[in-house]
Amino acid sequence: MAKVLVIEDDRRSSAEIAAALGDHGFDVECAYTGRDGLLKATADKYDAIVLDRMLPGDLDGLGVLATLRTIGIEIPVLILSALSGVDERVRGLRAGGDDYLTKPFEFVELTARLEVLIRRQAAPQRETVLRVGDLQVDLLTREVRRAGRLIELLPREYRLLEYLMRHTGRVVTRTMLFEEVWGYHYDPQTNVIDVHIGRLRRKLEEGGLSQMIHTVRGSGYVLRGSE
Amino acid sequence: MFSVGLSDIPRTTGFRLALLFLGLFGAASLILFGFMYWQTAGYLANELDKHFQSEMASRLAAHSSERMRQLEARATLDPDGRRPIALFDANGNWVAGAPATLPSALPPMDQPFDFTLPRDGQAAPFRGMLHRLASGDILLVAQDVRDMNRFRDLLRDAMASGALVVLVLGLAGAVITGAGALGRIDGVTQAIERIVNGDLSRRLPSGRRGGDLNRLIQVVNRMLDEIQRLMEEVKGVTDDIAHDLRTPLTRLLAGLERAHRRAASPEEYAAAIDEAIAETKGVLATFGALLRIAEVEAGARQAGFARLNLDTVAADVAELYEPVAESKGIAFSRENDGSAHTAEIAGDPSLLFEAIGNLVDNAIKFTPPGGRIKLRTFSASDRLGIEVSDTGPGIPGTERDAVLRRFHRVEKCRHTPGSGLGLSLVAAVARLHGLHLAIEDAQPGCRVTLWRDGAALAAA
Repeated sequence: MAKVLVIEDDRRSSAEIAAALGDHGFDVECAYTGRDGLLKATADKYDAIVLDRMLPGDLDGLGVLATLRTIGIEIPVLILSALSGVDERVRGLRAGGDDYLTKPFEFVELTARLEVLIRRQAAPQRETVLRVGDLQVDLLTREVRRAGRLIELLPREYRLLEYLMRHTGRVVTRTMLFEEVWGYHYDPQTNVIDVHIGRLRRKLEEGGLSQMIHTVRGSGYVLRGSE
Repeated sequence: MFSVGLSDIPRTTGFRLALLFLGLFGAASLILFGFMYWQTAGYLANELDKHFQSEMASRLAAHSSERMRQLEARATLDPDGRRPIALFDANGNWVAGAPATLPSALPPMDQPFDFTLPRDGQAAPFRGMLHRLASGDILLVAQDVRDMNRFRDLLRDAMASGALVVLVLGLAGAVITGAGALGRIDGVTQAIERIVNGDLSRRLPSGRRGGDLNRLIQVVNRMLDEIQRLMEEVKGVTDDIAHDLRTPLTRLLAGLERAHRRAASPEEYAAAIDEAIAETKGVLATFGALLRIAEVEAGARQAGFARLNLDTVAADVAELYEPVAESKGIAFSRENDGSAHTAEIAGDPSLLFEAIGNLVDNAIKFTPPGGRIKLRTFSASDRLGIEVSDTGPGIPGTERDAVLRRFHRVEKCRHTPGSGLGLSLVAAVARLHGLHLAIEDAQPGCRVTLWRDGAALAAA
């Protein structure tokens, strides 16, 4: 079970985050000041840290992050912030953050992003072929086959599928897809991503094959192999 | 009370300036007049002294008998005694020539000296020169200097009265200038007081004539226009926020209360929670959009600017929205005018994507099935930009400004989902990028253009 350290000064927010992460199956530890968080992060082994950008006292979020990176602790860090500016985001990532989430956020977004961070840490991808159930993607030739049949995909659909396959069994949110596949940072709000997923889904399920991309209530999708 | 007080005039810049110039001019005139006076008086005295010397020389050149004759002749020629010549013995007693008496203390010889002689019954000023002859007698050459003195006095008086006139006129001018400035300053002060007290429609009074103060006043008035516009916008937005957030919050509360009252089964509770989550998300999305517009309007994101090609962004937007349009039965096309590779500007790609995406999203929302949407990028020497046109109902001419305001939704579209913030964001993003936003009638439909001068590109 993945261990996550939550460094957040607001007790209620902290409790909510801990509850949501706990429900998702993470083992959660909380710290309420930058100093405490730093101590815990160096003393114990965690798989990821959720770090509030604004912490009271002399050590704020970015300070904690900078210290961690200086002493060589490379645990993935997800920064939470009430500051939404693109500059803030860039500053957070430049300080060594691995992802940046603006408050208020949905917990599905937080857990999905944490999953991605932890997995990225655990298994660097070297394979040239991705397989999920009867679906197979050749990363070199960009050939997609399901049950042996070749599926023609548009470039963007291919990238959507590749991203979903790299995170098989895990929820990815619309915002994550939009950031990763389109490369722009904002929440499109509308159902545009749904339409793209819908097209991809139809191509994958052509010929009455089982559903692989499932919509998660709230704001995401998950790709699962057909059992 | 802001009436023009006399005591305030000396404090005005105009008055002080006028006074300073009066002082400078006065000093310059004094020096000039003094010099003229000194030169004129000196010249006159000098001429007279030269005359004495030549007169004396010609008298001395003659023999003593001849000299006596000349003295007699002069006395006859000059009966008024204006230029007397006279001979005195060694003790200073009159011997011959014009009737005259020497001062009791003899002045030094061969030096011009001033003395008085009785003429027309009163003492008149004379200037003269003495010379002691070889015989011991004293020869006097003199001249009446009354006319000369009168001329000198006249000159002095003319200068003094001139100076007086200048002083009076200058002071009056300074007072008038000061009072005028004070009047305008008072007008401006009054107007500002009113504005500070809340009358934002008030403007500073600008005179008919031009001038520095007028230019300043015009600039301040333009600033006040902008402040008034912003204040009204803020007020409008506050009202709109109150309305647009109160509505979903009311629904949220009602839904939760209903669940509290009626829900019996876990399913019913779950449904109520889902509704509440959806409403809350809507509220948060509205807040997010508002903050985002505020952030963009504050220009804070210019730091994230990079060189980008509008056509690339347009292609990405088209790629994202094309399937949505298609699913609604709308024909979506994208074109560029062939030189689109030069449509480069400095900008924030995500913001431009969002802005163009909003325009396309709106077009898709309002265009009926079977319609067309066109996304076009253009780049010419004079203009470059991007244009979204549709065959939807269009925006009525009267509402084209209003749609850019936050929360505004064209009345007949109230039932369409949306926060009414889309176009405000587009407008803010356009402003941040120095782009103009134009909404036109595409007959039928609507055409929204984001553009800027091509020349501005070269300058950027």
